[in-house]
Amino acid sequence: MAEMFKLELKNICFTYPTNEKRQNFTLRVEYFSPGKCTAIMGENGSGKTTLGKLAAGLLRPDSGCVLYDGKDIAGLKLGEIGKQVGYLFQEPARQIFAPTPVEEIAFPLELRGVSKEEAHERAWEYLRMFELENIAENTSYTLSRGEKQRLAIAAAMVMEPRFFVLDEPTTGLDKRRRGILSDTLHSLLGRGVAILLISHDRDFSSSLDAEIRYMDGGGFSDS
Amino acid sequence: MTRSLPDPRVVFALTLILSSFAVIIRESLVLMAIQVLIGFIFALAINVDFRMMFRRLKRLWQALILVSILRSIFMPSGLILLEIAGLPIITLGGIQIGVLVLLRLALFIMSGAMFTCFTVRVLIQGMVQIKMPYEVAYMISVGVRFVPQLAQELKDSLTALQLRGIVIEELKLRKKLALYTYLILPVVVSSMQNAKELAMSMEMRAFRAQRVRTSFFELSFNRRDYAVLGAIAAYTAAMGAILIIGVRIF
Repeated sequence: MAEMFKLELKNICFTYPTNEKRQNFTLRVEYFSPGKCTAIMGENGSGKTTLGKLAAGLLRPDSGCVLYDGKDIAGLKLGEIGKQVGYLFQEPARQIFAPTPVEEIAFPLELRGVSKEEAHERAWEYLRMFELENIAENTSYTLSRGEKQRLAIAAAMVMEPRFFVLDEPTTGLDKRRRGILSDTLHSLLGRGVAILLISHDRDFSSSLDAEIRYMDGGGFSDS
Repeated sequence: MTRSLPDPRVVFALTLILSSFAVIIRESLVLMAIQVLIGFIFALAINVDFRMMFRRLKRLWQALILVSILRSIFMPSGLILLEIAGLPIITLGGIQIGVLVLLRLALFIMSGAMFTCFTVRVLIQGMVQIKMPYEVAYMISVGVRFVPQLAQELKDSLTALQLRGIVIEELKLRKKLALYTYLILPVVVSSMQNAKELAMSMEMRAFRAQRVRTSFFELSFNRRDYAVLGAIAAYTAAMGAILIIGVRIF
């Protein structure tokens, strides 16, 4: 069971610096409990992705604070945050770096001091989990969107995050693979990982027994 | 086209001359300073956004210091200002070269910034009217628009990498180098894919379906443009003469 993790977003206020994408919202204290999935739904531009990025430390709020286990993350480097948080971007190609899927999963482990053999062993484990073993040695950049999506999820999960932000994870996945992803996320939840799911897919959110929250104009609304 | 702006071909001529001399001038701080001054006056006249320019130059201070030190150590010249164990670390000649490099970079950035005052349409027309093939002119304008996108992608990739729990500052040099190869490759691949997709969508919209392309909008020089072109010609002749004859005072 993963160590318990508590995330708080306290009085967050954030405005994008560019005029084209001005967004300003305030959140009161929000908790994302360990072993629990919170799904954020809402219209395009309502601030779902912004919330995810703030929670993962990718964006820094203008005022208010983000706390992990009661500790403000303002002073933490992104790499230090990344040791606790996994993030799946909307566009999976953005987070695929290595020339082959197996290297993609193994290289961050190696950079973090895991031996090459062990890193590859764990990489193969995740490749099998996401049915990517047949393309493990193919060129990563030429994979289909769905394959890239699964690879990006596998690569984020191998780092065993305590808190996982998934931005539209079901885009490009067929029904069967959505089921596999749901099972995998269930097992993560069982290990005490907190999940913040940003999705339009209500069925998928329900399959994770997620608490569904709606965003409207930057803040949470009741309906 | 905004009335206060000159013809883009005048800017092409000026930046070509200034950039060429910036490369040719190797040692004279005075000549380089004159170049920067001329570029600055022109940029001021066409309302260049200097804030952007200074932001970029601010990041180059470290490079300036590094160039000064390297030059002082490996090619010591002039008065020694700092010496450690008999090894000159900072010399007047080194600082001079450092400042020269900074001025040269300022000139290049200023030249680039001048083009941002024009719309893409005006720039393409300017290039076409100096007999550059339309395809090449269009490609250049598209390429320029790709630069900020590439920078953003590189930044995004770095962010995504760090979110895998990698603290870059803590990595040893060998691992850091490996990490940067991981960073650059996907950006190159993605820009190639973007370029391919853009080319395909342009083909689908019948880009260059006709061999001859006419334009409703055409540029023409006015008196002020001719006056500036004359001044550029005079400046080129004067600077060329100074560099060829090698006037001592400079």
